[in-house]
Amino acid sequence: MKSKNRKRANAKVKAIVALSIVFVLTVALALIGVNGMPLDSRGLYKLMPWLPTTDVEAWPSTLPLGLDLRGGVYVEYSAEVPEDTEASFDDLMTGTISVIQARLTDKGYAESTVQRIGGDGLRIEIPDVTDPDAVLDLIGSPAKLEFRTPAGESFMDGSMVELATVQMQEGEYVIAFKLNSEGTEIFAQKTAEYLGQSIAIYLDDVMLINPTVQSVITGGQGVINGMGGLEEAQTVAAKIQSGALPLVLTQQKVDTVSATLGDDALATSVLAAMIGIVLVMLVMIVRYRVNGVIASWALVIYIVTLFFLIAVIPGIQLTLPGIAGIVLGIGMAVDANVIIFERFNDEVRGGRPLKGALRAGFKNAMSAVLDANITTLIAAVVLMFFGTGSIQGFAKTLLLSVITSMFTAVLVTRFLMKHTIALKNWNVNLFTSRVKTVKEEQE
Amino acid sequence: MKIKNHSRICLIVSACIMVLALVLTLFGQGVNLGIDFTGGLSMQYSLGADAVQTDVEAVLKEMQVGDFTVTVQGANHDEVNIRIKSINQDDVQTVQETFEGKMADKYPAIKRVGDVNYVGPVAGETLLKNAFVSVILAAVLMLVYIAIRFDFNSGLAAVIGLVHDVLIMLSFMVILRSIVQMNSSFIAAALTIVGYSINNTIVIFDRIRENARKLGGVTREEVVNVSVKDCLTRTVTTTVTTLITICALYILGVASIKEFALPIIVGIVSSVYSANMINGYIWAALESRKRK
Repeated sequence: MKSKNRKRANAKVKAIVALSIVFVLTVALALIGVNGMPLDSRGLYKLMPWLPTTDVEAWPSTLPLGLDLRGGVYVEYSAEVPEDTEASFDDLMTGTISVIQARLTDKGYAESTVQRIGGDGLRIEIPDVTDPDAVLDLIGSPAKLEFRTPAGESFMDGSMVELATVQMQEGEYVIAFKLNSEGTEIFAQKTAEYLGQSIAIYLDDVMLINPTVQSVITGGQGVINGMGGLEEAQTVAAKIQSGALPLVLTQQKVDTVSATLGDDALATSVLAAMIGIVLVMLVMIVRYRVNGVIASWALVIYIVTLFFLIAVIPGIQLTLPGIAGIVLGIGMAVDANVIIFERFNDEVRGGRPLKGALRAGFKNAMSAVLDANITTLIAAVVLMFFGTGSIQGFAKTLLLSVITSMFTAVLVTRFLMKHTIALKNWNVNLFTSRVKTVKEEQE
Repeated sequence: MKIKNHSRICLIVSACIMVLALVLTLFGQGVNLGIDFTGGLSMQYSLGADAVQTDVEAVLKEMQVGDFTVTVQGANHDEVNIRIKSINQDDVQTVQETFEGKMADKYPAIKRVGDVNYVGPVAGETLLKNAFVSVILAAVLMLVYIAIRFDFNSGLAAVIGLVHDVLIMLSFMVILRSIVQMNSSFIAAALTIVGYSINNTIVIFDRIRENARKLGGVTREEVVNVSVKDCLTRTVTTTVTTLITICALYILGVASIKEFALPIIVGIVSSVYSANMINGYIWAALESRKRK
């Protein structure tokens, strides 16, 4: 009798400790979520050396928002190979992307993204744009490429460069270029004149490289070495080639969203989501009593975790459809809890003690919960592969939501229920109504 | 409470909805396709005064821009949304400037507001193709998954339910054409419902599997009846909570969210209805045919 009491007392202490820890964690994470977290790079490193990044700069200070929420320009192009080129489409595409990216970054749109979509499509997203037309002109306009003498006189332009590609020579990446006949003539003359000196290449009046002439180039073909690595070589090669963009682009789709509209969209959706969540919590608490409180707690953990993941996982942005994905994730999380609680209640009504009901309830509910979540995951993955733009954003958020909700609605809920049940000798009516027989818990 | 097999009546009701949508489509009142699918230019203006639709239409007609639609909106009826069907990207700026110039005579306070969207003709086709492929692919994957976890007939019944739900969603896009446009977000909505519909069906099929083992000597139809009833509280609670959040989004959300939330609401209701009233009985019918 004495040992039984002690055992129960131990379980109670354990439960209080466990629940307190989770509670403190929830509150701490929620506060961080709302207020942000001041990080010291070395401090973080000392605290958690296994973290993949210790660079505070890489940690986002706010949630990355999609264009539809922060305002900006979204453009889709289809790309075609210009007639007189022999380079492969993939090379030209890579070149085009890096040229556009470089142009946008130069003009202060560092957060813009340029991505290839499908076979020949190109998607560009530029946030925080005030003058969309100017930006679109910037993307499409040809750049001015010049070769200059050491004295700074321009003697050749980009139209005389036929091809600039990256090659591997003697273990390093070099840029191999080919000139047209006019260029060949001029270049032969100039390389002879400035042998041993340097000839600089300028793009839009910004110096790209300043290579030294090591030999007279008469055949119109030469290489530039001294590139840092593959990426640098590719970027420079693409820029040299970009008297015009390497590919011919046709605009397929343009969306501009004003920043105020984005703010409105964000504010109303967040308000809607919050109202929805509070109502869901009320329904759950009324319907499932103590378990409803646990479900609400798990829901808070779901939301806090999900936003944390959206903030730290690269490539995921919060978009309008993404908010809908999160809301659906809430639906999934609540559904898993409902299925579990119904099974649990069945067991309790059948006269099982709470602890046993917990075990049996989870066991009976698990196959339905898993199947339901996996099928939603299948739909999300299909969307991710076939969707474009905002749909892909939705699919990513939905995927993340479902995975997170499985974690919180199953594992976290189970943990919380287990320790809550151990907390005291509960009156089962606090969990469910219509209990036929109440048996004393047997140890 | 006893749930009887009303699946036949339910199928007739569903069929009526679909036929109504089909007839409307045949009479040229089909889905209100947005520019994501049709291509074209969509822009929005605040006129600073009560907008007269015919004024705006007269200006556009004079400009000879081809097919266009004008919708007056805004709480004070002072905003217009203009969609021009076939237009070259290069002409967009000219069209905007000419339009603004001509409108300024009557509405000096005219101002461009909101999004300007331009979609080329190819983008819409690609989108439609991708949408079709992704729904079919998702359905096939679901069939395979359920066939493995349950049996082939369960998979078939679940996929029939899924197709039913997507068709009902489409039908309502036709019936509600005056309040909702179909844009790329509809694809996301449809795929979400594909997942959700299967989700509902699976919870019930899971019970059917369990009850079929437990209950001996009853017909399959009765097993389905009992299982649907067993799941009823779950069905009601889950549906209510999911609808609460989505409806909140619909009521408070901006236009593009409404466009997304409405088909989802229709899909959720439809999937609950088909999972409870139709799918189980289709499974029972399929099983009976097999054994005969």
